[in-house]
Amino acid sequence: MHIFFLVIVVVLVMTIGLMMQRLFQGPTVFDRMNGLGVITADTILLIVLFGFLDNQPGMYVDLAMAYAMMGCLGSVVLAKYLGGKNL
Amino acid sequence: MIFGLSIQEIIACLLMGAGLIFLIGSMVGMLRLPDYYSRVHASGNSETLGTLLVFLGLIVYNGYSNVSAKIFIVALFVFLGNPIGSHILAKAAYKTGHPVWTQKQAVQHELSTEPTTSVTTEEEKEAQANADLHN
Repeated sequence: MHIFFLVIVVVLVMTIGLMMQRLFQGPTVFDRMNGLGVITADTILLIVLFGFLDNQPGMYVDLAMAYAMMGCLGSVVLAKYLGGKNL
Repeated sequence: MIFGLSIQEIIACLLMGAGLIFLIGSMVGMLRLPDYYSRVHASGNSETLGTLLVFLGLIVYNGYSNVSAKIFIVALFVFLGNPIGSHILAKAAYKTGHPVWTQKQAVQHELSTEPTTSVTTEEEKEAQANADLHN
């Protein structure tokens, strides 16, 4: 079962590495924000999977919960800043 | 008891495999699609569904415990936050006049790499004023 967790971890790390290209080289600022959102969602999943690989998921899930709240807020606030006053 | 796995672990493996397919599809879509709006569609829908399926598989694998409730709360935050963020970013891009990809614009893009837009109305003039935001 840990092999399966490791497969998902490898795919998520590969996704984060490829989203770095979208983050640094994206044509518009919205593409950069989109890549950042994907990296946030993948990192939450990655933290929980690291907890299961470490055989103590109770500690890592709390970290993932805090990170999920921050990611939810940051994207909305920066989109409000980018969208102007009529958003 | 196939391959030494119990039924609980088999169900968890099936759910996480389905989520993995959606995550890979989201990654390919983010890299290959031509426009911001199509890319935000790939990241907003498939990413959320894949993440939720993997969280559901983890809940099934962990069983009825305290950690499963916390994973459910994390999945709820992802389910609320990711689509709202994608939607509000796409709305901000549309309100500030981000150009929408069409086949005609794709041909122009291959020829000149500079989108030629004709400023006619007052709204598009305001959008053109915001165009430095996109570069």
